[in-house]
Amino acid sequence: MVSTIQNTDVKQKEADRAVVVAVTSRAVFDCGADDGDEVCEVGVAFPLLQALQRVNERLLEENPSESLLFDVVLITSDSQQQQQSSRIISNTRHHGLEISRFCFSSEEDFTESLLKNNVHLFLTTDRDEAAQASQKGVFSALLNGKVASSEQLRVVFCGDAVIRTDTEPPSASQDAAQSFWAQLGEMRRRFGMLDSPLSLVLLTSRGGRESCGTALQTLRSRGVNMDEAYSLAGAPQSPILSLLRPHFLLINHLQD
Amino acid sequence: MSQNNGDTLTARGPDLTSGPDLTSGPDLTSGPDLTSISKLKPTTCQPKPPKPENAITIGISAQVLFNMEKEQQGLEDYIKYQMEHEMQPFSPGPAFSFVKALEAVNTQLKELYPDSKELFDVVLMTNNHPYAGLRLIKTINHHQLFIERYCMTGGNSPIGYLKAFHTNLYLSSDPDKVREALKEGIAAAIMLTPEKITEVSNTQLRVAFDGDAVLFSDESERIYKSHKLKKFLEYEKEHENKPLGHGPLKGFLEALEKLQKKFYDKGQRKDCPIRTYLVTSRGAPSPAARALKTLYSWGLEIDEAHFLSGAPKGPVLEKIRPHIFFDDQMFHVEGALKIGTVACHVPCGISQEPAPK
Repeated sequence: MVSTIQNTDVKQKEADRAVVVAVTSRAVFDCGADDGDEVCEVGVAFPLLQALQRVNERLLEENPSESLLFDVVLITSDSQQQQQSSRIISNTRHHGLEISRFCFSSEEDFTESLLKNNVHLFLTTDRDEAAQASQKGVFSALLNGKVASSEQLRVVFCGDAVIRTDTEPPSASQDAAQSFWAQLGEMRRRFGMLDSPLSLVLLTSRGGRESCGTALQTLRSRGVNMDEAYSLAGAPQSPILSLLRPHFLLINHLQD
Repeated sequence: MSQNNGDTLTARGPDLTSGPDLTSGPDLTSGPDLTSISKLKPTTCQPKPPKPENAITIGISAQVLFNMEKEQQGLEDYIKYQMEHEMQPFSPGPAFSFVKALEAVNTQLKELYPDSKELFDVVLMTNNHPYAGLRLIKTINHHQLFIERYCMTGGNSPIGYLKAFHTNLYLSSDPDKVREALKEGIAAAIMLTPEKITEVSNTQLRVAFDGDAVLFSDESERIYKSHKLKKFLEYEKEHENKPLGHGPLKGFLEALEKLQKKFYDKGQRKDCPIRTYLVTSRGAPSPAARALKTLYSWGLEIDEAHFLSGAPKGPVLEKIRPHIFFDDQMFHVEGALKIGTVACHVPCGISQEPAPK
C-alpha cells in the first residue's frame, strides 16, 4: 500500500518542471525506537537537504517565477519508521525542511511510490534499495556516508559512466541518469562562474586524460558545464573524494 | 662567500684537483658518455600510470608546462577565449623539456624493468575551469606528452590534491602556492622562465641543486648572514663532521637516486640517464667537506659537486646544461636565468628575509 501526504507548509512545485529528489527518511532523521522524545537526531542526508534548499532559494532570487527547482520527497518504507510517521512530519517542520511530500509504503512496493511521484533521483544509504530502484528505471545514488560540510551543493559525476558504447541500447536507468544530468546542467547555467550555490565536479577513475576530456566534451554538448574535473587514471579514489566533499556521487553502476 | 678560485670536485672518484681525498669509488669523468646511451624506442601503446605510492610524482602547474595567456578580461571572457582557441595548442613553457626528460627516463626504465611501477609520474595541476582545460588536454595530445592525471580545481587550492597523490615535487609559477606546499612538507619551487632557454639533452635528465637551504637546512647560511665569512669558515671547520640538517629538496634528490640505483643495478652507471649536480658557493676545505659528508651520512651520492667559493654559478651551469636548477637565493636564480637555464626559486630559509642593517 502506497500513500502520499502533501506537506501543506510548503508550496508545491510544478510537476513537469521540478527536479524530484526522493530521499529515504532513515537517512534524514535518526529516530530512536521508543524515545518518548519528539525531536529526532538528524541523519547523513540532512546537510544535503539544506544545500538543495539553498539552491532553490538562489534560483528564486534570480527569477521569482522559476519552475526548475528541486522538489524533495521523503520516502518511508520500513515498518519501524512507518509507525513514526507523525514524528517524521513534525520533525520536518521543526527543522524547517522544505519537503513537499511524504510517501509511505511497504518495503516491497517502495519503488512504486518512486514511480508514482515521478522521481528523477532517488537517494539512499541502502545499496540494495538503490539497486532495486535502478532496476525499475529510477536513477539512484548512494548517499555519501561522511557528512559533507560545504554550504554549496556539490555533485560529483563519476565520468567513467558518461561514455558508454552506442552499440547497446540505453537502459531505462541510463536514460533517467542522462535526463537528470541535463536538468542539473540547466540549473547550473542559471548561475555565473563564481558564487554558484551548486558545483558540478567530474571525476574519472579509470581511463586516461582522453576519457576525462571526452566526458567533458560530451557533457558540454548536453549543456552540462562542469566546475572542476579530475582524471585519476587508476590512482586511489578515496583521498580525492574526501577533498571533493560531495553530497552525493552519481555513477551508473553501483559497484563502486 | 669568497675564497680563492672555485674548486670543482668530482664527488665520485679519487680525481680531485685539491683538498683531501673525500671520496672513494670508480673514476668518473666530468661529462657523461653519450655515445652508449640506449636508443629511445617510441611507445606504441599507452601503459597505465603507476600507483602514487610507488611512483616519483611530480606535480606541475599548467602555467609552467605551457605558455598560457594570463586571465585579464575576467573569468567568463577568458573561458570563452580558450574555447574559441581550443584547437590551437599552447607552446611549450619552461617545464616542458624537464617533463620530456622525465618521460625519456621512464622509457628506459620500462625497457629494463617492464613490470616495475617505480617511474616518474607527472600530474598536471591547474586552477583553470574545465572548459579552458580542454585546450590543455588537446595541447598535451599535440605535444605527445604522457600525462594521464590532472586536477582542474576551478580555483580551489591544489595542495590537498598534491598530498593525495603523494607528490614528491611541485613546480609552479605562483609563489603563494609554492609556499603553501612547502609548509605542508611537499618539496616545491617557483619556476621562472629564461628569456631564451638553452638547449638541453633529450636523453639524460640533469637536475642541479644549490646546497644550503635547498638540499641542506639554512643553519650555515644564518651564520654567514649574521657573522660573515670568517665566522662561517670557523663554524664549518668546527662542525665539519656534524651533518647539516635536511633541506626542502633533500627528499627529491633521494627519489632521483632511488631511480638511479635501478640503472646501476643493470650496469648503467657511466651512462645513467639521470645525473645530479650540486652547485654551491661553498668552497674547500671545510665547507665543501661538510657538504659532502652530510650527503654521505644520508646515504646519498650526488654525481657532480661544484664548490665555487663564491664565484658566480652561470659559467658552471652553462657547461652542465641542467633541465632544472634549484636555488634559494634570487641572485643565483637570476644568474642562471641569464644563461638560459630553467631556474627555480626555493623560497626557504634566512635568505628570504631582508638583510639586517
